[in-house]
Amino acid sequence: MKTSSFVNVEKRRSPLSEVQNLKPGMKKGKSKAATLAMSLPLTSLIDAFSIIVIYLLIGTQNSGMESSIPAKMNLPLAEHSVGLDKETPVLSIQKGVYRLNDQVVPVKALTEKLSELKSKSQEKSLELLVQADQEMKYEDLDPILRASSQSGFEKMKFAVVPAR
Amino acid sequence: MSAMGTGNNDKELNFELNIMPVLDILSVLICFLLLTAVWIQIGTIDTRQAIGDNSVAGAKNPPSLWITVNTQGAVQLSLRDLPGAKTHEEQIRSAGRGVNWAVLEQKLQALKAKWPDLKTGVVRPEAQASYGDVIRIMDKLKQFEFEGVGLSPLG
Repeated sequence: MKTSSFVNVEKRRSPLSEVQNLKPGMKKGKSKAATLAMSLPLTSLIDAFSIIVIYLLIGTQNSGMESSIPAKMNLPLAEHSVGLDKETPVLSIQKGVYRLNDQVVPVKALTEKLSELKSKSQEKSLELLVQADQEMKYEDLDPILRASSQSGFEKMKFAVVPAR
Repeated sequence: MSAMGTGNNDKELNFELNIMPVLDILSVLICFLLLTAVWIQIGTIDTRQAIGDNSVAGAKNPPSLWITVNTQGAVQLSLRDLPGAKTHEEQIRSAGRGVNWAVLEQKLQALKAKWPDLKTGVVRPEAQASYGDVIRIMDKLKQFEFEGVGLSPLG
């Protein structure tokens, strides 16, 4: 049954509809309709997208643990640093404000909070990760050293940006 | 949709692969990977601290290098507990604003060559010393294979 439609009167072969389907051998069907001049190469677009996906998968993977850095904090650079291999409590110092796992802790309560953290943890050798700005003065770090020593943290890690 | 768009001849076996959904999936994947990617890798410099008051009277300490840093960037190197109860001290003047890193590196290399058993380094900064300089000195100690690197509290 032959049907005719007013839509087919102005029929044009769309290159997009042709290319968006991968055919075996990519044989073009015979059509008398006129071909539009522009065409969008979707196959090469897929190639480009695949390369980007592979690059992102391989290039940005992190083998160790992730740790967030507070905004406007410039960590010091170090050439001989090691990666973060396990999750550790984070103590950050910003403008004299001490934060233990994102909770503000007064200087006087540092020892108490760290001791509490140590007693709650099941790990024997719990480590402490210290994040501080490279412009900070050493006197701001001193309370942490004393508090960690008194609360039984034997190992301390100082967060740095590995220099390349 | 694909069969409807090009299926002029019903008798032909036509298996066409619509690549538009593939593009959609790849776009979503790229967005997801861009949002979840870790761009800045964090490293750590590890130290060991003395817990509480665990100094043992009469215990034999290994040879150690104590590095004092002042506010201007001047560095003093002091060797303690060397074999034969020797002591050794050296001064490094600051290079304008900060620590003279080239000289410090040379001195550390020379000390390590002279005393290969020297594996303990303690950094002892002044109150106003820069944290960045302290970390860099610890990094230099790691570079010259100091296994035990520590920080001394103030006072």
